[in-house]
Amino acid sequence: MEVVPRSPAEKTEAIPPCQVACPIHQDVPGYLAAIAQGNFGEALRLIKDTNPLPSICATICAHPCEAECRRGQVDEALSIRALKRAAVDFGCSPTPPAPAPRGERVAIIGSGPAGLTAAHDLARLGYQVTVFEREAILGGALAQFVPLYRLPRDRIQGDIEGIRALGVEFRTDSALGRDFTVAELKGRGYRAVLLGLGLPLSRSLPLPGFDMKDVWPALPFLRDANLYGRRIQPGKTVIVIGGGNVAIDVARSALRAGAARVRLVCLESPEEMPAFPWEIKEAAEEGVEINCSWGPKRILGEDGQVTSLETVAVKAVFDDQGRFNPTFYEDRTAIFEGDIVIVAIGQAADLSCLKDSDIQVTERGQLIFDPVTLATTAEGVFTCGEVATGPGTAVKAMASGRQAALSIHRYLQGEPLTKVEEPQPLGKLDQGVTAAVIRQERQPVPLLEVAQRIRNFDYIDLGYAVETAVREARRCLSCGAGARRVEDKCIDCLTCVRVCPYEVPVVTPATSVDIRADQCQACGICVMECPARAIAFGSSRFEDMERELEQAMAKVTPGGATPPRLVLFYCYYGVNAPPGLADFLKANITPGVALVKVPCLAKLGVPYLLKAFELGANGVLIVDCGDRECIYAQAALWVRRRMESARRVLEGLGLRKEQIELVCLPEERFQDLGERMSSFSQRLGELVH
Amino acid sequence: MIKGEQKPLPEIQGMIAPYKRVLVLGCGTCVTVCFVGGEKEVAGLASALRLHQRLSKGDKIIEEATVKRQCEREFLAEVARQIQSVDAVLSLACAIGVQAVAECFPTVPVLPGVNTSFLGLIEEPGKWSEVCAACGDCILHLTGGICPITRCAKSLFNGPCGGSVGGKCEISPDIPCAWQLIYDRLAATGRLHLLEEVRPPREWKSFSAAGPRRIVREELRVPAEDEKIRPKG
Ligand SMILES: Cc1cc2nc3c(=O)[nH]c(=O)nc-3n(C[C@H](O)[C@H](O)[C@H](O)COP(=O)(O)OP(=O)(O)OC[C@H]3O[C@@H](n4cnc5c(N)ncnc54)[C@H](O)[C@@H]3O)c2cc1C
Ligand code: SF4
Ligand code: SF4
Ligand code: SF4
Repeated sequence: MEVVPRSPAEKTEAIPPCQVACPIHQDVPGYLAAIAQGNFGEALRLIKDTNPLPSICATICAHPCEAECRRGQVDEALSIRALKRAAVDFGCSPTPPAPAPRGERVAIIGSGPAGLTAAHDLARLGYQVTVFEREAILGGALAQFVPLYRLPRDRIQGDIEGIRALGVEFRTDSALGRDFTVAELKGRGYRAVLLGLGLPLSRSLPLPGFDMKDVWPALPFLRDANLYGRRIQPGKTVIVIGGGNVAIDVARSALRAGAARVRLVCLESPEEMPAFPWEIKEAAEEGVEINCSWGPKRILGEDGQVTSLETVAVKAVFDDQGRFNPTFYEDRTAIFEGDIVIVAIGQAADLSCLKDSDIQVTERGQLIFDPVTLATTAEGVFTCGEVATGPGTAVKAMASGRQAALSIHRYLQGEPLTKVEEPQPLGKLDQGVTAAVIRQERQPVPLLEVAQRIRNFDYIDLGYAVETAVREARRCLSCGAGARRVEDKCIDCLTCVRVCPYEVPVVTPATSVDIRADQCQACGICVMECPARAIAFGSSRFEDMERELEQAMAKVTPGGATPPRLVLFYCYYGVNAPPGLADFLKANITPGVALVKVPCLAKLGVPYLLKAFELGANGVLIVDCGDRECIYAQAALWVRRRMESARRVLEGLGLRKEQIELVCLPEERFQDLGERMSSFSQRLGELVH
Repeated sequence: MIKGEQKPLPEIQGMIAPYKRVLVLGCGTCVTVCFVGGEKEVAGLASALRLHQRLSKGDKIIEEATVKRQCEREFLAEVARQIQSVDAVLSLACAIGVQAVAECFPTVPVLPGVNTSFLGLIEEPGKWSEVCAACGDCILHLTGGICPITRCAKSLFNGPCGGSVGGKCEISPDIPCAWQLIYDRLAATGRLHLLEEVRPPREWKSFSAAGPRRIVREELRVPAEDEKIRPKG
């Protein structure tokens, strides 16, 4: 297969770093903005656009996006994973209709996140997809091994139903190698086969005592605990060997399964532990003892019963080249007493199913495949997920599944298999910019109390409440969504340089004024102030606002409606989003009032204020959310200035400046709005007559 | 740059009163920079005028356009058809632009929406001041880069006058005395001796005393027909 490099001209524009860091490049700022407006349905729609497993990701995604979030340069990263959860919990978005079928059949082996994503993508392209799964349940490692307290199984089921709705057929208890071969699949008309076999085997250690009966491999223990309610005899001490996420899952599951004491022993120092820091923290809170820098030497026992694990102190885990190559202080040993040892030191592929096929495997037992096309050595057979990439995260496996689906599509259509260019992230924020961004604390994700947590396998993550989610989402800096200088309209008047609260536009010798799109905070102030209208916006926020105004006015001015008609502009973010002001307004609105939500008052320029009158309003009431809630420091200042400008125009036309008013209503005073509105309309009534 | 101010709305309404179809025409140069005649101001004024039509149940049609520079014929070409189709043009350019449009389209009434105020400098956003009278015979090298013709209330050539108090002009405590500024600047640059030199009275012909001014530079002019060198044959 031929690989064609993309031409440099096709290079994409830099995009937000969260989106680049996400292996499936989800539109993070897009769905965060929707949540910040209280529009969870739209958020979920945007998520589903690129993510076939929204509910799974909302629950257990390792969220590499958060590590790159630019808000982290200011205070703390956005809580993106928990916000996705809020979108899934509170949003409702229909799955798009199944596409027109194409006819070609594709077989996918393995129903893990890689296989499921490939199935989804291929089905959306119109292929007839069958997923064959060896186990009785679908979802791969997530369904078999991930503990229930982190991933309730109904969350997997919902996502799978979404994929089934696209016409994908699932066959459980169907194992490649045992029940059918690749050759047979081809004989049955499958034009391409995708192997997403995962890493279903637990590694062990060839050390003395590891063959005793109470030394268990990690994955079977997890599977049994999850699926069959396996419990540990009361009073037993469990020793877990390993420092990764699986080891932590084993330790926390052992506690819940009834172990009296759980002692985790790992080679790595606390900083080196491969498990995620939040996982380690939660485990420690629950009482898991974490013993770092000890290497297992042997398991000691009496009468075939485990009594302890003997370990030696670790000198270093990695060598100079950073390779895993542990060295020890042989003279320093420690004994950990316990009754059961669970070994969680890694997973391995099970390629026995490929025996006697033309799919080649290396001497070390790894699949041979092309890293760009993911094609194996057999015609029409591709691979994806952890069996190809090695251990990773669910979302990485999904990206790999997506890559494979694209390759299969191109293969079946006879198109060249091009390398997909990775998008470039926006650079770091300048210090001048971060200094001006208003600090806003990250909303903590509420968890069950520890005492309650360790009693059973109940889901521990309570998720955000609607209000908290809205507030958290509003912290997003909308990276890259902001101002762009339109070169052939800009006259270098310097207004943007002077009005931007963040010093984003700068004067450079090369281009005169440069509005640094990568630094822009998308407040929109400059857009409304530029006298040449030479600033475009990276999102459709302004156009949307105009449309909203027109639609709202069309509703309140059916021929003959009695004046006064007034337009109420309010920001749709933060405290004003549902269920805040927005819901209050819906319940309390009087006829004759057009509600127009705007994306922060910083964007409410004079043209919109005048336009309201042009469209038939007699008065305009602007609701200011109160400085303290606004992420744009100077919105309050600019909206007042613009109100004054618009008032001068009204006066010039013989109207009264009192026809535009502003009320400042922080959250706790929404109730006042009803009264403010009616007194305003009363005054207006007197003014216009 | 040229600075101006939008005329009051009632005056503008009076001017356009006789016409039904009016084009509000902006200019993308000086008047854009001083926020009276760029695309944004055109839109604002047009919107205000339309609103007035709605309120007064009028039937005027208000159109909008902005060209790069109204003072150049070539840039007017792009709106020529539109200009010829309206009953009047309300120009938001400086007076130069207004006259250029009127010159180019002699059959269309052209109305000024802006009072061209002065040649000035931005002190800070939202504040401009006059600094040059275009007198045609610059003396800034003698006055520390400060123009006494514009910045001294009496346009004195040998100031300050007796009304200079504490560095301020007697006409307003907000206005600095230009001659105090000149003195301070010359002192700071070690050039106070310039004030001691006796100068002959200046020629005012370059200003306005000799009628409308004009600059002609032969080397820049479009060649006349008989000057053009044509290819043989
Ligand atoms: C305990 C544990 C906890 C984890 N926690 C997280 C987490 O919190 N967040 C995160 O992002 N990732 C987590 N992971 C990693 C994540 O589960 C994997 O990255 C992901 O499941 C890999 O996807 P995959 O599709 O490549 O393989 P898998 O999910 O392993 O799926 C492979 C599927 O293929 C099937 N199969 C294998 N051989 C055959 C055959 N011969 N015939 C038919 N079917 C076959 C298997 O039964 C399995 O269902 C965790 C993993 C484990 C083990
Ligand atoms: S601030 Fe928002 S857009 Fe920027 S990196 Fe973070 S989540 Fe992404
Ligand atoms: S405000 Fe507009 S015209 Fe002025 S420099 Fe900025 S982009 Fe250019
Ligand atoms: S949109 Fe706001 S942050 Fe961006 S350049 Fe304009 S004024 Fe600055």
